[in-house]
Amino acid sequence: MPMQENAQRVAAPTVETRLVYAHGLAAIVTLLISVTFGILASLELLIPDLAGNHVWLSWGRLRYDHTQGIMLGWLGNAFFAFLYHAVPLLTGRPVTSARLGQWIFGLWNFAVVAPGWVLVLAGFSQPLEWAEFPVVVDVFVVLALALAIVQFLPPFFWRGLEDLYVSSWYVIGALIFTLLAYPMGNFVPEFVPGARGAAFSGLWIHDAVGLYVTPLALSIIYFVIPAATRRPIFSHFLSMLGFWLLFFLYPLNGTHHYLFSVIPMSAQIGAITASALLGVDVIIVVANLLLSLRGAGVFPRDVALRFVAMSTIFYLVVSIQGSIQAQMSVNQAIHFSDWVIGHSHLAMLGFATFAAAGGLVHVWQRIPWARYNARAIEWSYWLLFAGVILMVTDLTIAGIVEARLWQSAAPWLDSVRAARPYWIVRTGSAIPIAAGFIALLLGLTTGPRGAGLQSVEQTIGLEPVREIAPRLASAMSEVS
Amino acid sequence: MSRNAGRFVRMSYLVASVAGVLFFAMSVALLGIWPGRVLEDETRSMSPAHPLGLTVSEQRGRVIYGREGCAYCHTQQVRYLHSDMARFGAPTLAWETRFDYPQLWGTRRIGPDLAREGGTHSEDWHFSHLYSPRTLVPDSVMPPYPSMFDGSADRPRQGARDLVAYIETLGRARELAGPEGEAHARAACNCPNDEMAQMAFHGALNANPARARRQGAALKLAASGDLVRGQQLYLHNCASCHGLRGEADGPGAAALHPQPANLAGHEYTVDRLGYVLGNGVQGTAMQAWRDLSTDDLAAIAQAVRAFHVAQQEPTLPANIADLGAHVYTANCVQCHGEHGAGDGSAVGELRMPPADFRGARPSLAESLRALRNGVDGTPMAPWTGRLSEAELSAVAYYVRGFFRGGQ
Repeated sequence: MPMQENAQRVAAPTVETRLVYAHGLAAIVTLLISVTFGILASLELLIPDLAGNHVWLSWGRLRYDHTQGIMLGWLGNAFFAFLYHAVPLLTGRPVTSARLGQWIFGLWNFAVVAPGWVLVLAGFSQPLEWAEFPVVVDVFVVLALALAIVQFLPPFFWRGLEDLYVSSWYVIGALIFTLLAYPMGNFVPEFVPGARGAAFSGLWIHDAVGLYVTPLALSIIYFVIPAATRRPIFSHFLSMLGFWLLFFLYPLNGTHHYLFSVIPMSAQIGAITASALLGVDVIIVVANLLLSLRGAGVFPRDVALRFVAMSTIFYLVVSIQGSIQAQMSVNQAIHFSDWVIGHSHLAMLGFATFAAAGGLVHVWQRIPWARYNARAIEWSYWLLFAGVILMVTDLTIAGIVEARLWQSAAPWLDSVRAARPYWIVRTGSAIPIAAGFIALLLGLTTGPRGAGLQSVEQTIGLEPVREIAPRLASAMSEVS
Repeated sequence: MSRNAGRFVRMSYLVASVAGVLFFAMSVALLGIWPGRVLEDETRSMSPAHPLGLTVSEQRGRVIYGREGCAYCHTQQVRYLHSDMARFGAPTLAWETRFDYPQLWGTRRIGPDLAREGGTHSEDWHFSHLYSPRTLVPDSVMPPYPSMFDGSADRPRQGARDLVAYIETLGRARELAGPEGEAHARAACNCPNDEMAQMAFHGALNANPARARRQGAALKLAASGDLVRGQQLYLHNCASCHGLRGEADGPGAAALHPQPANLAGHEYTVDRLGYVLGNGVQGTAMQAWRDLSTDDLAAIAQAVRAFHVAQQEPTLPANIADLGAHVYTANCVQCHGEHGAGDGSAVGELRMPPADFRGARPSLAESLRALRNGVDGTPMAPWTGRLSEAELSAVAYYVRGFFRGGQ
């Protein structure tokens, strides 16, 4: 297909910038609230009597709200903001309806995140990992996901699938598979007891990361890199190979959360094998991404690209770590320890948050009327970078210390005593992290209107939006 | 791109998309539905015929356990690993979890696993621990739950009662199934050559080193331990209940029934301390301390014995001593035993073992106080109405003679 024709077809996309803005702001506000839950929970491990008589502030409830807020509030809204920007550019068509967008925004924030938080604090919840909001809230999540499919997927199918860019595939895959996996993780264990239910919980724990967070984060990375480096992605073939391997392998990982349990050994071994293979897949994906980044450096000048580049590196590290810790010899020692908490923060705070922040900054720069404070965002990047490294290193070492004590004959409490200095450092790491997120909020709400475009001009030079779209789509010409 | 190539790509994506959805379905089938069926069969064949479900109160407790995020620090799943089995007991079998809607296995262990917690600590220990964990376990990081109580640890509200009732069910079904249940499960497993599956049937069902047991071997402790280390260990592990000077006035003592032993008011033999530290005192909040090394326990024993200050106790005339023996034989021997070893004929019916006067000699004041007031929370009743002052003094004096100290 000639380039010109392609360019014409995607020439005039309509981006609903108000929806981008609304979801972007909601993302950062819910992020700050979720981080507050996390900081309070980490403080309560150091000062366990902190909450006093306020049962709604007790550790367990804060812990539930922390992860649900990050997953649905922060990442969910950030992904929506990105989709409102990217889907029209990827397809050349507007999303289905701006009015539907208002409904999705309202549902997501005022029927899911806010009531979910309040209900958990009030004592209505579900003690299942990555599914802590009560079942009544889950109903609205499923409804909102279904509406999101109506909102974002038709533009892709209007165009025909044959020249979809890889980001599009990730968006389609994420939305469809999340809608399938979410009810499995949130409803099934209520009806299937004990070990049988745990098998489904294991699937969902991994699907939440693998079918919802990872594909949408990768779609951002695949989008921002060519948009900011002005080069097509290194290899469309590797992109697609990585995509299909991801969707084949991720769902088969779930049981690795329950190794050495009564769940049949063949299922455990299958999951361990899939976990190892997943590492191979991630090497393929990241190699392709890093080759696409070549010349831009590890810390590119454009801060959105810089977030995304670091997200790529975090993705590689966290996935290789995951492949290793799913192996029985490692898992038997470090499972249940702070190592795993470090791992999940490397995934959600490192990989996913850096991708989401990169995507958010990228789309913000391109809203002509939005305020943008380049200095604050610079600060945000470096504070977050330092905070993540500190926290993950600290928790990883803590996990090894705990694992060693558990393997020994030492009393259980020795492992709690030994963890304390590491927990102090972990709470300390919240200072740069929280400061980084506040800087991100300032970066997107202060500064002159339209300064985002100026910042792009200074770092990589301006180009009309219509130039970006064909570059994303043109990858196809390399294979055909 | 030629027209044919376009069609080819379109077709291949269509095929891949269908395959993708099929793969997701396959993951659910392979890692969810199929293991579920295997586990269901296993549950049906290995479960005792009528396993005990949860009462309404226990179910309410389970809801509280879920709501407060207990499962996010305490797993409920002993893995097929020797390190897990040594600390907690037999690996969790599928049938043990058959009433768990939803499952509470957990993926993080900040506190210990609770799959076999039932019967490990006493009820008053749990109430005190829930109300204010650090009054019992100074280095614990568990959150307190004072709102489940009416102002103090010995006034639990419904929530605390339900929660403790639920905790007491953890591991209960398997314990009630007994050796017959184990044999049945083992036969149903029919897996003599599956090394891992066999692990479920080896070793102690409950290996928690804190679990009090009635019939346990006394630990042989060295007669002298490291006093300084002993005092440190005492401070971290014992002082919360027994008090800084062993006077049973630690912050955790208030809500315990019976009260912790007044260590300063007794003279202990090393053997007695070895027995209590190794086995706890069943039916009371005194847990066992098998997770500490015998060197550490000998050090603690040394520190405990150092609380006792030998005093000149009055000697009584012979006729009063005779009266003591007479009263003892008439009233005390059924529980405390002929030689004061706490092994009388009625012991089997008691919730907790009676005092062993051979291993622990109360001061005269302690002895008289127990006789006059009884010991709250134990079967030891006050004797003031039934014995005269002279008889009380005589028997209080008499029981001190059983002591086989010297070591």
